[in-house]
Amino acid sequence: MCGTDCIEKEAAALKAVLLRTDAIIDRIGTTPDVVIPLLQALQEEFNYLRSESLDRVYERTEITRAQVMSVATFYSQFRLVPFGKHIIKVCNGTACHVKGADTVYDAFRRELKMEGDDITTADGRFSIEKIGCLGCCALAPAVQIGPKIYGHVQPGKVDEVLDAFNALAAQEEEKEEEEREGKVQGEIRLGMENCCQASGTAEIYEAVTAACAELDLNVRIKPVSCVGACNQVPMVDVAMPDGQIIRYPNVKPEEVREILLNHFKATSPLRRLRNSIFRRVDHIHTDTVWESSLWEPDEVRTRTINNFFAGQKRISTEGYGHMAPLDADEYIANDGFKALEKVLKEMTPGQVIDQVLASGLRGRGGGGFPSGRKWSLVASQPTDVKYVVCNGDEGDPGAFMDRILLESYPMRVIEGMIIAGYAVGAHQGVFYIRAEYPQAVIRTRKALQMCRDRGYLGKDILGSGFDFDIRIFEGAGAFVCGEETALINSIEGKRGFPNLRPPYPAVSGLNGCPTLINNVESLSQVPYIIRNGAEAYASVGTQSSKGTKVFALVGKVNHGGLIEVPMGTTLNQIIEDIGGGVEGGEKLKAVQTGGPSGGCIPAEMCDTAVDYEALKGMGAIMGSGGLVVLSESSCMVDVARYFTEFTAGESCGKCTFCRIGLRCMLDILDKICTGKGKEEDIAQLEELAQNISKAALCGLGKTAPNPVLSTLRYFMDEYKEHIAGICRTGTCKDMVKYEVNEDCVGCTKCAKACPADAIEYTPYEKHFIQVDKCTQCGLCIGECSYDAIHKVPLKEVAIS
Amino acid sequence: MRITINDRTVETLQGETLLEACRRVGIEVPSLCYAPNAVHKPSCMVCMVQDLSTSQMIPSCSTYPVEGMRIDTESSLVVSLRKMALDLLLRDHRADCEAPCVTVCPHGLNIEGMLAAYDKEDYLRARKYLAAVFDLPSVACEGCKAPCEKVCRRNSVDAHVEIRSIVNELAAREDLPVQGDPADVQVQDKTRFSSRQGVFTEQEKIRLRAEQPLASNCLHCACAARNDCRLRDLASAAGIKTPRFGVSSAQPFKKRKHITGDLWFEPAKCIHCGLCVYNTVDGFSFKGRGFTMQVDIPEASYGNVSESLAGLCPTGALSLIR
Repeated sequence: MCGTDCIEKEAAALKAVLLRTDAIIDRIGTTPDVVIPLLQALQEEFNYLRSESLDRVYERTEITRAQVMSVATFYSQFRLVPFGKHIIKVCNGTACHVKGADTVYDAFRRELKMEGDDITTADGRFSIEKIGCLGCCALAPAVQIGPKIYGHVQPGKVDEVLDAFNALAAQEEEKEEEEREGKVQGEIRLGMENCCQASGTAEIYEAVTAACAELDLNVRIKPVSCVGACNQVPMVDVAMPDGQIIRYPNVKPEEVREILLNHFKATSPLRRLRNSIFRRVDHIHTDTVWESSLWEPDEVRTRTINNFFAGQKRISTEGYGHMAPLDADEYIANDGFKALEKVLKEMTPGQVIDQVLASGLRGRGGGGFPSGRKWSLVASQPTDVKYVVCNGDEGDPGAFMDRILLESYPMRVIEGMIIAGYAVGAHQGVFYIRAEYPQAVIRTRKALQMCRDRGYLGKDILGSGFDFDIRIFEGAGAFVCGEETALINSIEGKRGFPNLRPPYPAVSGLNGCPTLINNVESLSQVPYIIRNGAEAYASVGTQSSKGTKVFALVGKVNHGGLIEVPMGTTLNQIIEDIGGGVEGGEKLKAVQTGGPSGGCIPAEMCDTAVDYEALKGMGAIMGSGGLVVLSESSCMVDVARYFTEFTAGESCGKCTFCRIGLRCMLDILDKICTGKGKEEDIAQLEELAQNISKAALCGLGKTAPNPVLSTLRYFMDEYKEHIAGICRTGTCKDMVKYEVNEDCVGCTKCAKACPADAIEYTPYEKHFIQVDKCTQCGLCIGECSYDAIHKVPLKEVAIS
Repeated sequence: MRITINDRTVETLQGETLLEACRRVGIEVPSLCYAPNAVHKPSCMVCMVQDLSTSQMIPSCSTYPVEGMRIDTESSLVVSLRKMALDLLLRDHRADCEAPCVTVCPHGLNIEGMLAAYDKEDYLRARKYLAAVFDLPSVACEGCKAPCEKVCRRNSVDAHVEIRSIVNELAAREDLPVQGDPADVQVQDKTRFSSRQGVFTEQEKIRLRAEQPLASNCLHCACAARNDCRLRDLASAAGIKTPRFGVSSAQPFKKRKHITGDLWFEPAKCIHCGLCVYNTVDGFSFKGRGFTMQVDIPEASYGNVSESLAGLCPTGALSLIR
């Protein structure tokens, strides 16, 4: 029983919670529209939404119980139960899914001994969850622990990941940084985005810092924006004072010292002597030297990189790899804010809109609505208060264009937004950035401050008399908020329910005022259009789709990453010339474009020039720009099921067709993927899909059946095979078993790796897998050096 | 504004939605999430009509007329989409309209009604049910194979209700003579759609076993709102016999919350139209999203709603139970 002491302690603890809650309420506000930032702050403070704090919120603010229940359970960010100290977020984006994210998730649970429905370890150190998409698709499967992202995580490697994280967590407290002075000898540029960090750039950064100290070099280390070649990271660029840039792809930490020695001399003569000895010793004694790509001739070493960059045109991502995201001077030196100056000093709002109209720019968020028409519609509204909203709620699994643009080129997006504000007569802007992109939020916030400091934002911009300021709204995790009306509801502190349109946001949007909503990428194309003129912009692209498009090239492709190509480039060009072909030399099966609202384009149609109309004609959409490459080993029914599961879970739940219809489709797909499907299920699936696309309330519901419709259209034979009980790729676990064949030499390695003890073995004899125990985690296949373990269909039916 | 509805030219009134315009000129359009003079937002989609000028399908309850619209309310596509919307809603509606015993009784005895009176110890009223269908109640069940007992939902929990012995027990109460016309007891109309809740889950069985049984042991499966349910009316009108997509709601059978006065809330019957959400202040709200989205109300907010909400609810999810 609790004594008096204990009661007093509890009362004191409660009082502390209330005080902390009060401080947050005082900071954020008490009106209903601030509910999301308020809940975010409370969760940040207490790790979850404590009922005591919420009671305080009901007591002190205009926010009601009903509103909190409605909002806190709608957005996936909010938790009503405490989580562990570190959260392991296993990315379940498309790219990660096709590369086995489920087995990684299971492996973490096994390693952490989580049982049943547990999501937190017994010691409260770790919690685990699957999340929509981390936006590090080129490094799939990706996992985020605390602030750190780990790429290419294999089920057999989760112990190493956890060890590395634990070591890092321990180190963090001791970490100290040394400031050095003196003449800068050169510059080392490192991509420091989320995905670069995941690939180990952080380690390279540490290695560079350490090596500079050790070798007494005075080199400026500069974190730069995304270099786009996500498949070649960690990538180090050495910039010499004479302007020469030498690029090293795939650098390992142990190679850093050699790279530095190759280019720089120590500042003190003594060290210089020592270093020259180091160099000789390394050359002679390090046997790894010759295997490292580092010592290959420049042409050989950088060939793939150069190919990767060939065929691309940079408008949104201009300045890739050499511009620092938060260096305003550098941005200005590279024509930054020239467009804004031109607009404010030389152009009327009408002229700006005419330019955008003439450029042919279309919305990059998915629909492809002509941006200029949207602008002129908002501009024609006679009200005083108008808003510009930048839609950065990039929720598509398998896409990370907006994240990179905001992290790497925040100033360009801001510039585009101010121009839009001037053109439509708005004085307030809102950046809606999804919660999963903390780095993008930080960078954008800093960039906004820099713009304010330099007079590009705020009152009387550049002395023109035009006022415009921008605030950031952090989304709380809901795919549907990419839909304009849902996004507005979200900013207003409501559930992200879409509204019936009309009225369109351009007429009645945020707070009932005319609102221009443009996607991040659309806005980032605006400065180029103004600077170079609509004609220059319109000369790039196809008849109906102008300019360039940024794509996230991911999935089973050799060189994935962020690319920007002129509209009209074919998918084959993208995959072969830029992506370096399908991973592992496999045959291309299909390309999935447009995420959950898009479709799968079969390989034989991949020579079509990509633009809005062409993709639509093939049953896909441009979407926000995810390109997931699928190979012969990808199961198309599983892909359809994956997207349906995603949209069924992300459906806002408002209308019947989306809420229940998608669930029905998912149930049918589950049946088909577990071998329980019947012939008539396919017809019912198609009927449901077609009716949902006609009758759902909003754009997301209407497009959610696309992955199913397009796979039914192009890959009907695979559906039929599943009905017959065969998944030719072995992806659908219930249709295959693992079997050891005659190539087994009896080395016992697989049996030792098996976490389920499902392999019966006698050394030097052929091993045997017990099907009932096997969890199909795939560790044994990776472990076997003799290629003796294979997935075989349970049913003995020949594939036609 | 001038539009055409089913090839008829209609002059619409200021502020009127398509649904209201249709109904005003006598064209019936079904709806569930719409109620006159109440705040509503489109969700059920059974009021779907097609605008032939754009070939778009639109919810008429929330769409305002636009000059030149050509509305079709009765094409086969419109009818089939409305029917699918109902089939989908019924998939998520876990409830019995009528008790199974009643639907199978060869004599049409309202067994559940009789047992309800029996459980309230209103034996005279219970006898009225018998009198409504039998001339000689004492031999009513003679020779009958008692399908009522076979389909009794209680079977899978423990044992069926001893219907026949209760009938005999009531028949023997000749001290309570039924006089006059027993018309106030209703006999089921078998032509109407009747929702079925499906089998109990293991958890439900455990829960039901733990509950204190009534005198008759009856679960009273029938819905209190069965004669006042728009979902049932529309399903009957659409000719639905068995919902096409089955019933797969995860909501537990007859798990009710007592809200206020006679108002009870049973989530398994809710179709999430939101009328109770939009028409209360700090009362009902949505919870969660996607297929698992529910309508719920925190206990601390029970005082913020009134009994009149039952009239707004298109199903038996909110009903008055005395």
